[in-house]
Amino acid sequence: MNAAIGPLFAGPPGAHGIPWLHVLPILVAVPAAALLLWGLLRGRLAPTVGALAVLLPIAVYALCGLLVLEDSKNVSFCGSCHVMTPIVASIQADNGSLAAIHYGRGLVPHEQACYVCHSGYGIWGTVGAKMDGVMHMLRTVAGRYEFPIKLRGPFDIDSCLGCHAYAPSFRAVEAHQSPDIQKALIAREMSCTGACHPAAHPDAALTGGKGAS
Amino acid sequence: MIRLACALGLVAIVMAVILVLRTDGASAIGFSFIGAPALGLALVIYGVSRWRAGAFRSNATRTREAGS
Repeated sequence: MNAAIGPLFAGPPGAHGIPWLHVLPILVAVPAAALLLWGLLRGRLAPTVGALAVLLPIAVYALCGLLVLEDSKNVSFCGSCHVMTPIVASIQADNGSLAAIHYGRGLVPHEQACYVCHSGYGIWGTVGAKMDGVMHMLRTVAGRYEFPIKLRGPFDIDSCLGCHAYAPSFRAVEAHQSPDIQKALIAREMSCTGACHPAAHPDAALTGGKGAS
Repeated sequence: MIRLACALGLVAIVMAVILVLRTDGASAIGFSFIGAPALGLALVIYGVSRWRAGAFRSNATRTREAGS
């Protein structure tokens, strides 16, 4: 995005204020670190100081927990691990994949494009996405993943329907009105991609950018 | 014991600060799998050291032990 165009195009409105989620943990971490350093050097802590030395680091972790819950929705966070880097690069390219079409046309928020489609719909979608995120970290640490990477289970098309279901253009499509197709989609026996719509991501991206095997 | 607890607490704080300064997959892994266990261990060690120092004993127990 050309920054010379103006501040309106620099990012979402929430990005222009003070980033409290980043500031608060640091503000609490400084006295916490000072107390812990004091305890490390002295080898003892008075009960009141000890209580603070317990509570402040817990507060830091609570605030950082909120930070990571929020910032892990960002595309840049998803793309920071080697497995996902080619996929994030592919959605930013003009390659005709469903994800690239949505991203390029601004049909999903640019900052949270991965999260919007992969978190599922509603609060349980968010909970599921966070649990999946922990498993992704474990698999990354253990190196327990295989190319091409695959989605675990069928894609939750409620993520698609959350935006498309009430759109007149979506409802007007003859295939979408077919009772058999509707039944198959709701039962997750078929997905939007494959038969009718292009694949969400190109094969090359799913194989770590090394080409489909 | 207190020194060990404080050292582990500092490790946890360092991991948290790295996460704040650069939120990405690597720092989140460090925060979750190094920092959080280090903080948990620090709290357990500190709690045990305080318990051994008699912090969680009631006044009645202390009086009884002092009398015997």
